[in-house]
Parts: sequence; C-alpha cells; structure tokens
Amino acid sequence: MGLMILLAVFVIGLVIGLPVAVTLGVSSLSYLLVMGIPPAVMPQKMYAGMDVFVLLSIPGFILAGNLMNRGGITERIIRFANSLVGWIRGGLGLTNVAASMLFGGITGTAVADAASIGGVMIPGMKKAGYPADFSAAVTAASSTVGPIIPPSVPMIIVGALSGISVGKMFLAGAIPGILMGLAMMITTYLIARKKNFPKQDWQGTSEISRAFGGAFWALAMTGIILYGLLSGIATPTETAIVASVYAMVVGLFIYRELPLIEIPKIVVDSAVSATGILLLVGFANVFGWILVSERIPQAIATAVLSFTDNKFLVILIINILLLIVGMFMETIAALIILFVPLLSLAVAVDIEPLHFATFAVLNLMIGLTTPPLGVCLFVCAGIARLPLTPVVIAILPFLFTNILVLLLVSYVPTISTWLPSVLMP
Amino acid sequence: MSKIESIAYTVCRIGVGLSFLVLILTVLTQVLGRTFGSSPVWTEELTRFAMLYMVAFGAGLSLRSGDLVNVDVVCEAVPGKWPWRLRLIAAALTALLCGYLLAPAWKYVSIGTMQTSPAMTLRMDFVHFSVFGLLATLLLFSVFRIFRMVFAGEDGKADIREELE
Repeated sequence: MGLMILLAVFVIGLVIGLPVAVTLGVSSLSYLLVMGIPPAVMPQKMYAGMDVFVLLSIPGFILAGNLMNRGGITERIIRFANSLVGWIRGGLGLTNVAASMLFGGITGTAVADAASIGGVMIPGMKKAGYPADFSAAVTAASSTVGPIIPPSVPMIIVGALSGISVGKMFLAGAIPGILMGLAMMITTYLIARKKNFPKQDWQGTSEISRAFGGAFWALAMTGIILYGLLSGIATPTETAIVASVYAMVVGLFIYRELPLIEIPKIVVDSAVSATGILLLVGFANVFGWILVSERIPQAIATAVLSFTDNKFLVILIINILLLIVGMFMETIAALIILFVPLLSLAVAVDIEPLHFATFAVLNLMIGLTTPPLGVCLFVCAGIARLPLTPVVIAILPFLFTNILVLLLVSYVPTISTWLPSVLMP
Repeated sequence: MSKIESIAYTVCRIGVGLSFLVLILTVLTQVLGRTFGSSPVWTEELTRFAMLYMVAFGAGLSLRSGDLVNVDVVCEAVPGKWPWRLRLIAAALTALLCGYLLAPAWKYVSIGTMQTSPAMTLRMDFVHFSVFGLLATLLLFSVFRIFRMVFAGEDGKADIREELE
C-alpha cells in the first residue's frame, strides 16, 4: 500500500509539474504518513544525503565553468577547433563538435556548452550556408559530450551514490567521451558530403599555433583538474576550487574579458545552480532510503534475473530502461533515483560498478537531446529560432550515432575501465 | 509583499554568496596549509557546514530561478488556464510540504543540542538548523510565487537566466 502511494504521488507530482526535488519529498512524506513512520526521519535523511564530502566539489566545478565561460573562452576554443578541422568538408559542423569536446573538459555541463557554443556557432553556420536545423542539431548533439569528458557533475553524483572514486569516474568517462565526439564528427562529415556543405581553406599550421596560443590558458584548466585528481595531491573539492581561482585569474588578467564587477553575481548564480542539484540529492536520499527499505533494488534484480541472467540481455534491458526514463526525466534526478537499484542488478550479473556507472551516465546524457524533455534541444532550437520538429528530425542521425557508441561502451568494458586501471590502479 | 520579497531575495543572495565564499576560503586554507606545512583539522568540517548553509540560503532562490527543475511536458501542454493552475498547485504543494516539515526539522535541530562536531566542537543544532533553513526559504519563496500569481496576475514561471535568453 505504502509503496503504491509513493509511486502514485511521485508520478502525479511529475505530471503536474512539481519540481522533481519537491515531488520526491511529497511522495516520500506520503509514504511515511501512510506507513505511520515519524516524519522526523525526513530532515535527518536529507541532511545525511547532502552532507557527503564528494558533493562539495559540485559548486566549485560549476563556478569554474561559469567563470571561464564569462571570461572569453568560447571564441578562443572555437577558433582553435576551427583551425584544426575547419578545412574539411562540413568544417563548421566539425568545428562545432570539436569545440564541444574541448569545452567539455572545462565546464562539464551540457546546457552551458549548448548555449555558449550554440550562441556563436549556430548564427555563424547559418551565415556560411548551413541549414539552420542541421546547425542546431549538431550543436545540441555534441553538447552531450560535456558531462562525459571530465569534469562532470553527473559523475560526481555517481561517486557520492556508489563510493567509487570521483577521479576514477572522471577517467572512465574520458575515452567514451572522445569516442562519442569522434563518432559525431564522422556523422557530420558524411552528412556534409551528401549535402555538399561548404568547407574553408586550409589556414596553415601557423594559424593552428596562433589559435592554440589563444586557447591555451582555457585548455590548461582541464590539465589542472586532471593533474589535481590523478596525482592524489588534491581532493575533488580542492581541485574544483583551485580551478575556480585559476579561471578567475585567467579571465581577469590574461584574457581580460571577465568584468570584476560581475564576479559576485557569477559566484551567487553558481551557488544557486549547485543548490538546485544538492536539494535534489537531499530529497532523493529520503526516497532512496524508502526504496531500499522496501527492498526495491533486490525486487528489480530478482524480477529481471527470473526472466534472464544473460549479461548481454541485462545490459540491453538496463540501457532501454534508462533511455526511456532519460526521455522523460531530468538527468540528475533519474541518476539519483535509478542508479542504486540498477547497480544491484548490474552487480548480480558481474558488471563492474565503474563500467556500469559510465554507460549509465552516457545513456542518460543522450536524454538531453531527445524529445520531449531534451534541454539542449530546446536551447539550440531557441538560438536557431526554429520550432522543435525540424531540429528533432535533423538530430536523428546523431542520436543513432550516440546510441551506437553507447552500445559499444556498454558491451566493451575496457573502453571505460582501462584508463582508470592504468592511471589510478 | 513585493518589498518583503525583495528584502528576502537580497538577504538570501548575500547569504548564499557568503556561505560559498567561506567554502572557497576554507578549501584554499586547506590547500595552502598542506602545501606549506599541515592544514588545520577544522577545514573539512567547516567546508561541509558552509555548503549546507549555502543550500539553506539558496533553496528558495533555486525555486525562483528554475534551478529546481521540473518536468513540464504535460503541465505546459494542457489547454486554457490549466498550465497556470498547475503552476499554482505546484507552488502550493511546495509550500505545504515545507510547512509540514518545519516542525520535524525543528525537532531534528533540537536533537543537535546533544552533539558537538568532532573538529570544531560546534554544537550540532547550529549545523542541523541548515535543514530547517532550506525548508523555510523554500516555503517563503513558494508563498511569494503564490502571492504574485494570485494578486499580481503573474504566470508563475521561473526566472530565466541571462545566458539562456
């Protein structure tokens, strides 16, 4: 009975547009009241959910990304990406994907990537003769590599939920993220050849070195983050804060495009963004506690294993479930609610937690570009001033590509586990 | 009401900013301390407490800014005045949840009087108060939204950040 109430209130809450965190809170409270459990347990579980050391790094990484973003990195990264691949057929499309890969190593949030790179690239591509729907689609699709290439907020959440080292999670996402980017570049190139999209002249190695010089300080932040985590000299939180200070220094004194007066606003806005995520974690901890006490993870594992214990099929079932959920639910909320129950199932068929975590995050990122709730899709269609439907049609080849990469990462564990095993044994 | 909201908004933004600043400075103290000797023992605790207070001050603001995300596929697609009504119901339910949880949260705060944090020896009721605070600010800003919708005829949608405009 209690469980029925929990799930019914949860679904109704989502449907009527209640914030996901509040939906988790209302449904959990309904369960507690029906089951006669004192509601005092809620504040206690919320506190326990948020008071997790690893989560401290989230505000720092968001701040670092926002400072860099406001500090003039977008044009520099685009110029560098353009110097590398702009001369190939469909060059601006390829530049778009390459810039997202580089940008992903700095901000780690897909929406920021879609808004920043899209703001420059979509009008630029339209002006150069690319169709508006393709320009929006390639921007939206490529922005999803941001949270896979380190740093990554979803990876930090997974670290907090599972106890897997955040450094290992970041490394596990590196190769799949690069693979996804390269696969999207190939797709872009094939579409460009078929539709005879323009290309630019080769601008020579001197342009590459000049553009690299401009983007160097922004790109170095990825190096600082990885060095901080891999060398073991800093925790993820320390790395995030050092990266924020670095971003501020670069924006203020090197690029000189970060207005000093805007820094307090950026700090506060970043903190409010982080709060939205942390509240979700707090309320979800109550919800998750109820699911665990109702033995839902075991029930899911038993139900699936009674149907099949074939690892191949279980991976497929998990992926299909996550793809469907990712279409309708906000990525981090879906991750928080489903990760632990599905991890039990994954472990039961000998899937390594690090491998499972990687393909689960990759899978849910695809949801950022699928209707009806693909945030990046909305952002890019908005910038291109298009209705959603043509962008949804134009993004289909990229969705297909991303699903292929997802299957590859899901069925070849080495792609995600090799780098962490070598660099953080 | 708009003046009260404006004051609450300013206080919460200052609170969020200061909490985040404490977090940043504490982490930097930790890093510098370790680089040039040994870092103080209290830094990790203070960082966690600062983050909890950041959430307490920021909860209402995140509702207002739309950082507290919702699924708007159905509720914005229904005809007539229903999207507005559903946004009002959502704000009311948020207020009800937070209002209901204030008493249990206060009980949790009072439990903290019996505990102290290991490194800073801070009474834990001050730390547990952050959960009460987050519920209170969320309640406050959902009530502000209800007032603006009912008495000022606003649509009840979240503010959209500049970068997404």
